[in-house]
Amino acid sequence: MSSREQLAPRVKELIVRRLKLEIDPTTIDDAAPLFGEGLGLDSIDALELVLGLEQEFQIKVEDEEVGVKAFASVNALCDFIEQKKTA
Amino acid sequence: MSAAAFPHAYPFRFVDTVSQGATSGGERTAPPGFQGRVRIRVTANARAAMGEGWQSPLLYPEAIAQAALLLEGADAEAGRGGYLAGIQELSIERAPRAGETLEISVRLHGRFGAMHRFDGEVHAGEELLARGSVLVRQGESAPQEAQEGTS
Repeated sequence: MSSREQLAPRVKELIVRRLKLEIDPTTIDDAAPLFGEGLGLDSIDALELVLGLEQEFQIKVEDEEVGVKAFASVNALCDFIEQKKTA
Repeated sequence: MSAAAFPHAYPFRFVDTVSQGATSGGERTAPPGFQGRVRIRVTANARAAMGEGWQSPLLYPEAIAQAALLLEGADAEAGRGGYLAGIQELSIERAPRAGETLEISVRLHGRFGAMHRFDGEVHAGEELLARGSVLVRQGESAPQEAQEGTS
């Protein structure tokens, strides 16, 4: 199993747990937008995700501009985490 | 510090004194972990002006949010430009009593854009009255949907 195949479920589980969503993490589409359409997250959820990423993956989301790109989808979030971990 | 820096007006303006910590006017540079402390005097007049509202546990997170916004950006415009956006993990031991001096300690847990999470505690002397986290949004005004959703 590739690192991406292991990372995506962790990210989905983090999203569901931190945001207290009442959905099965496996039903989240890797490519679907997290904000607006898709999961319909908002700015409060974004802050909670930032705190969750810091705690779980020990990575920082520097600013809103970076975060907006990173939170585009589960795929984008996985890219962001992998990039941070290898930097 | 100018009284104009405080958000809201009497009697809904709670904070009387900043006793520890405050960023300089209008800056948004406080790092996560930043801490501050303010004091609130619970007067019989304020209690009378707000009626039974003083018994509402929601005043504690509002007080924490006011303290947090004030400590984060102590200028008049910034002080008025934020609002309480959410409450998390709030526990309350009892309501405040007239004559007590409340000490509100806040710690910046994290921020993303305009949204901030602060952890706060409310003490009267050595007694813990409330503890919890608040989400505050800094900005010129609440989004339209937020304004429509509150009365």
